Amino acid sequence: MALGKIRHRKSSFVMPRLMITSMMDMFTIILIFLLFSFSDKQEHLILEEDLNLPKSTIKADYTDSIKLVLSQNSLKLGEELLAPIKNGRIIGLDPKNPQGSLLFRRLQEAYEKARMEDEGLAQENETKKNHILFLCDKNHSFKTINEIIKTAGMAGYPNFQFAVLKQ
Amino acid sequence: MLGGGRYRRRQEEDTDLNMVPIMNLFLVLIPFLLMSASFFHIKAINTSIPVLAESQKESQKEKKVKLTVVVELQKDKVKLSALGSDVSQQELERWDSTIPMNTEQTYQLEAMADYLKDMKKVYPASDTLILIPAENVIYDTIIQTMDVARRFEDEPLFPNVVLSGSVG
Repeated sequence: MALGKIRHRKSSFVMPRLMITSMMDMFTIILIFLLFSFSDKQEHLILEEDLNLPKSTIKADYTDSIKLVLSQNSLKLGEELLAPIKNGRIIGLDPKNPQGSLLFRRLQEAYEKARMEDEGLAQENETKKNHILFLCDKNHSFKTINEIIKTAGMAGYPNFQFAVLKQ
Repeated sequence: MLGGGRYRRRQEEDTDLNMVPIMNLFLVLIPFLLMSASFFHIKAINTSIPVLAESQKESQKEKKVKLTVVVELQKDKVKLSALGSDVSQQELERWDSTIPMNTEQTYQLEAMADYLKDMKKVYPASDTLILIPAENVIYDTIIQTMDVARRFEDEPLFPNVVLSGSVG
């Protein structure tokens, strides 16, 4: 009796088959989504947590240049912290004497370095190359921004690229 | 004959598409695409600050009348005016205009776009706009104004936007 039961149980056992159709559907959706968000241009910019860029309808890409980052709490040139920001005021940047600020000195150094490197180039090409990629938090007032762009202009950088997020 | 037909039917039933290689392909593709996917796209607006420069000499043949628009984002209004050496003072004053803020205390950028479109119709060679925001205007508003100044509803307006602080 017992043996008969076992035999009966064995014969009713059906080998389970993996249902991969639903998994295939899921993967297809993910693949299509990723293909759409595929970018051949690697983003070299790392956005900080306290930096909210504004949105814009512009379609032009940024070019590699000096990066000036004005987040909610700090002002950075590339990776170097230049000044902290408190209540919209840049600590260490006197609007009446921008030449005395660390920002001015660093930008002037960068300008001189770029000039030395491009000594062989024609003057007009050289001036066209001098621009700053400016990443600024969308909630900063023009008063704060103006202090920075004025200082940059005095250091030899009158042209800017304002980094924005694609709308 | 019947036997043969039964055999063919059994063969058709057994045909099952092997999805495992496709799954393997997907598993390879997905991490690769995840690595190269960018979830935010950064773009750039070219602008400059006013600098002293020699005026560009154009040949008489190429010379077209150009006006430069001055947009002042003031505390409660947008003040618009025009600058240009090729037109009379009277003509320039004709372009003086003020757009007050709307009830939601935001700038009426559509009205500004209409003004810019009108100017572009009269002086199509004009391409420069000087934007002078008040100290309390936030960066987001400046960018929105630049967007409208550059292009409105797919109509190109003033591509060269110069950002300046108010003088005095």
